[in-house]
Amino acid sequence: MSEFDAIVVGGGPAGTSAAMRLAANKLNVLLVEKADPPGSKNVSGGVLWGNSLAGVMPDWEKTAPLERFVKSKGVGFLTKDSSIDINFRSSKFSETKTGYTVLRTKFDQFLNKKAKDSGATVVTGVTVDKLAFEGNKVIGVEQDGDVITSDSVILAEGANPRVAIDSGIRPPLKDQDVAIGVKEVIKLPEKTINDRFNLREKEGFAGEYVLGFLEGGVEAGGFLYTNKDSISLGAVISMKHLRENNKTYSFDIIEQFKNHPSIAPLLEDGKVDEYSAHMVQEGGLASIPKLYGNGYMIAGDAAGFSFSNGLILQGMNYAIASGIAAADTIVEAKAGSGISEQSLSKYEEKLMNSFVLKDMHTFKGIGDITWGSLVHQKMPNVLEKVMLGLLMEDGEPKKHMNQIVKEALKSSGLKSSKLLLEGYRMYRRM
Amino acid sequence: MSNMKIEDRLSLLNYKIDKSYAHITVKPDICEICPDHFCTFACPAKCYTLIDAKLNFKYEDCVECGTCIVACSHGSVSWTNSKGAHGVKYKYG
Repeated sequence: MSEFDAIVVGGGPAGTSAAMRLAANKLNVLLVEKADPPGSKNVSGGVLWGNSLAGVMPDWEKTAPLERFVKSKGVGFLTKDSSIDINFRSSKFSETKTGYTVLRTKFDQFLNKKAKDSGATVVTGVTVDKLAFEGNKVIGVEQDGDVITSDSVILAEGANPRVAIDSGIRPPLKDQDVAIGVKEVIKLPEKTINDRFNLREKEGFAGEYVLGFLEGGVEAGGFLYTNKDSISLGAVISMKHLRENNKTYSFDIIEQFKNHPSIAPLLEDGKVDEYSAHMVQEGGLASIPKLYGNGYMIAGDAAGFSFSNGLILQGMNYAIASGIAAADTIVEAKAGSGISEQSLSKYEEKLMNSFVLKDMHTFKGIGDITWGSLVHQKMPNVLEKVMLGLLMEDGEPKKHMNQIVKEALKSSGLKSSKLLLEGYRMYRRM
Repeated sequence: MSNMKIEDRLSLLNYKIDKSYAHITVKPDICEICPDHFCTFACPAKCYTLIDAKLNFKYEDCVECGTCIVACSHGSVSWTNSKGAHGVKYKYG
């Protein structure tokens, strides 16, 4: 007889959601988190998109420590001198909230407390080393040579899934699976943020940028999110391209982003209050390992669940939804035929029927488009030349737009036929 | 905003340093003949530096991001999770 019905490894959004759901179903669940306080090792941009958390906490929008709701969404291309932005803001976002900025240390502490309140045993400051096996069946987890036994284990250990890798149930991560995320939290008065981003109380801005000014083939995206009285700003850097470059420091890229002429004024007089970094899951469907086995399931970032199409960067909603699906699978298995590889295969079925795996399949291969010189160098430069061509009044007779576009394409070395083809591919995949 | 040196940014962080356990180790014989030392560019916490063309690694500044285990393609880096709530402690995350 096992000590627990379920052990959940990792107290982030996936793990805490799973623990809440299991405890709500009267199962004996242990949640193990290596950080103490929980959340103090977790990093995210971060915007929590969607309403997945309502599955375990219907009133989360009223009770969770949220910074601001996304009222205004930006996406922009940055060249050395210019920025070409689209900014979408809508009163629809005030009626139905689609995203909230969060600071994970605070937010995850809240989630862990909720897991505890709902009846889970929450242990923090304890590091799980490996899964414990009997034959091919997982019988619990190993910690410092001790085995804690459980009928089932959910691995929700985040973007660096050491337990899964060291237990031999998922391959080590490769360049194409991850990006390097580097972030700073910059303090600014609430009113200053409201003024600079044209926001009212509780309204927030979330912006994603293509850092088209980086040299030497380095590719990175930037993000800028408003918290109540700080700004979360960061860069998500392609491991593959940074390796090919091999002369740019990951920690310098964020400084270049901060000092861009269209970003610097937004941060003026701000004080950097924290620097942080974490790997970001970026590989899409190709990076997803086998999600279940005899006695275990993998959820959240550890399973590679994230979504990025250049306009938006999501992970926490996938984490929460997958954590809940894993918990439900255990609840049903326990009520039915018991825990087995067969009964836990329902986890994948549940994910296939939800946005989690549907999105992964729908946007299969999108990384080939979002990471590439077309988006990161050519498009920003062409757009800049077109806009300058349209707007710079130099006293010369005006040209037709098609002439300006033609010249911009020519100087970027991009053939219009190639642009059409690549543009079509991008359009199809997005 | 003026450029902030990485050392100054790291000095903003709180750590509970584990003096008895290095959660990451490197194999000096591999690093010595490494042709790229990509770790020195990839690591966001500047834990990997070249001193007189020799790789120097210090785990104390590590923010446990996991980058180096992927960045090192030569099998030098061994990565384990920090233990006993040691390591970086973010206040915002």
